[in-house]
Amino acid sequence: MKRKVIGVLLSVAMVASLLTGCGGNQDSGSADNAQTTDESSATEEDEAQGEEEAGTVGIAKEDLKVGFVHIGDPSDMGYTYNHDQGTKKMQEAIGLTDDQIVNKFNTPEDAECDTALRELVDAGCNIIFGTSFGFEDYMLEVAKEYPDVQFCHSTGYQAASSGLDNMHNYFTSIYQARYLSGIAAGKKTESNKLGYVAAFPYAEVISGFTSFYLGAKSVNPDVTMEIQYTNSWNDPKKEAEVAQALIDNGCDVISQHSDSTAPATTAEKNGVWQAGYNADAISAAPKASLVSACIDWSIYLTEAVQAVIDGEEIPADWCQGLSEDGSQDAVYLSPLNTDIIAEGTQEAIDEATEKIRTGELKVFAGPLKGVSPEGEEYEVKEGEHFPEQEEASAPSWSYIVDGCTVVE
Amino acid sequence: MNTLLNLLVAAALAGTPLLLGTLGEILTEKSGNINLGVEGMMFMGAIAGLAAPFVYEQWALKVESAPVGWIGAFLALMASFLAGALGALIYGFLTITLRANQNVTGLTLTIFGTGVGNFFGEYLGSRAGGYVALGDEMKSAFANLSIPGLSQIPVIGKLLFQYNWVVYFAIALALLMNHFFKRTRVGLNLRAVGEDPAAADAAGIHVSRYKYMATVIGGGVCGIGGMYMSMVTTSCVWVHNCVSGYGWLAVALVIFAAWSPARALLAALIFGGLTVLRLYLRIPGMPMQIYEMFPFIATILVLIVTSIRQSRENVQPKSCGFNYFREER
Repeated sequence: MKRKVIGVLLSVAMVASLLTGCGGNQDSGSADNAQTTDESSATEEDEAQGEEEAGTVGIAKEDLKVGFVHIGDPSDMGYTYNHDQGTKKMQEAIGLTDDQIVNKFNTPEDAECDTALRELVDAGCNIIFGTSFGFEDYMLEVAKEYPDVQFCHSTGYQAASSGLDNMHNYFTSIYQARYLSGIAAGKKTESNKLGYVAAFPYAEVISGFTSFYLGAKSVNPDVTMEIQYTNSWNDPKKEAEVAQALIDNGCDVISQHSDSTAPATTAEKNGVWQAGYNADAISAAPKASLVSACIDWSIYLTEAVQAVIDGEEIPADWCQGLSEDGSQDAVYLSPLNTDIIAEGTQEAIDEATEKIRTGELKVFAGPLKGVSPEGEEYEVKEGEHFPEQEEASAPSWSYIVDGCTVVE
Repeated sequence: MNTLLNLLVAAALAGTPLLLGTLGEILTEKSGNINLGVEGMMFMGAIAGLAAPFVYEQWALKVESAPVGWIGAFLALMASFLAGALGALIYGFLTITLRANQNVTGLTLTIFGTGVGNFFGEYLGSRAGGYVALGDEMKSAFANLSIPGLSQIPVIGKLLFQYNWVVYFAIALALLMNHFFKRTRVGLNLRAVGEDPAAADAAGIHVSRYKYMATVIGGGVCGIGGMYMSMVTTSCVWVHNCVSGYGWLAVALVIFAAWSPARALLAALIFGGLTVLRLYLRIPGMPMQIYEMFPFIATILVLIVTSIRQSRENVQPKSCGFNYFREER
């Protein structure tokens, strides 16, 4: 009997320690326990104030709370890391304290997202950012219930059509930066075959790899590209396996639309090269990473949070790429890995950057022919260009062009 | 031909963590304990296996000596074994000494270990300023080997002589365990404990000691499998949720291998092959979700076949799942 009691107690202890472990996991890594208790006591006041001041008047900077729902955590050294860097820059630019930012990391694209959103609303957040494609439907639902809270979703496309004033979409013209990183890949490749670790067959991904391929092709007309899907935004094991398969098929520069560093490290292991997405992978794979196409999220985050403070409206769709004078670039290239890039890469990239800035170069310019995954053909005629992200913030190019082979 | 070769190599690499997890679980189940916490122990091994060389590397940089790859690899092996063993010890204490329900305890251990792995992974990451990534010395200690002469032989060299050392370690362990179960007194005693602890007890075998040893060492082996995920698969970088279900595949693989370490070798190769099959061999029009079902369909088929054959040799040890209580004999 005594033994059974001890057994029960031990199991309870195990479960309890586990729960606290998970709790630490979910919250922002920097918030220690003291802060957490502060937060909960401050929550009620915040909520009361939020109700009074919501609407057009704006919210005092000190009372503002900003929530984030992330699919991963900054340890991915990719998408989430980069978005979190944007948060930090925004925090500094506006002057918010650490406990005014609430992060929900490692939230899957399922009902847990709904829970995370509601927790953020309960914590008194006035503006909530969701950073993964699959969060959109959950955000729409919660946004309907809380009209006083602003919801901003990146990579999504439904805000304008939803008719909700507090739902917004944002993204950047990352295809421009991908085009530029494609130039580095096109110059470097020796087998003239690029490999692409892609997450899902969505427009966001297809637009990304097409622009990467077009960039490579602009400096290397013979180049082809093989694309394989992982069907996951962040699955390092699968990303490594897919990268390995691409390399086995003869690809010698690997690029990716997935969140982890696994394609970079796999490329390094095999002595080939990699062009990254979102975060500089040079520290993870110094011998393989050529350059990365990156997003500077802070520009939008700062604008949106400032709008809440000023009581102004946030646009339903927001998208920005390379700016004309280079002062407000929402996308950029990480520093080139000068030890391994091919000769002339820097010059070619500089030239293309300048042309994109002035509008002389359009990435999706005709003549360009493609077929969508559903078999629908599309053609951009000579002298015209596809209006990528000009009307809505979400990427819409979803056609596979000649030279790209999707293997599935 | 080349595709087949690449597939086999990729299968061996994908199969190694599965093989280690399976071997650990076979050893555990042979003692009559079914430990469903493989995933948890692999997570604990994964983080310990990464943390030990990381701490060593930091120390080496502090005293300004160059970190040595093989010391890091040895530390990773030891730390991951100990971490997995610690997880198994918790399980062992609860089930063997306190006779808690084995299934529930194992499941709890899975959740516990997953939390421990991710928690400390993120803790180390935030301390290291972003994420944990080891230097070149450690990476090369887990890189593919190049054995002069042997690795250069066409086809065979690539097929047999160019894996990282953990692959060979796992194969050696499987053969050793096979010999242990079939040819040694201790191994036979252990099997007796798993089949009928009361009879073994009557024959003078110390049942609890055998159960503890098998469970703890088995957990340690699972931990090494986890170390493979963090050190080889993700190349010395801590990635959130890096074990991602491989522990569960290992549990299924135990059934697939019919509790035999030698067959586990083949089974792990097949399972590894099935998990990467779609990347190398494509059947037009087959959705990739179907490919991902293959390992599990194979397990179900094996379960059906073995239950039809009703062999007494290739089944789960009879006392598996039941705690032994001497006074109830």
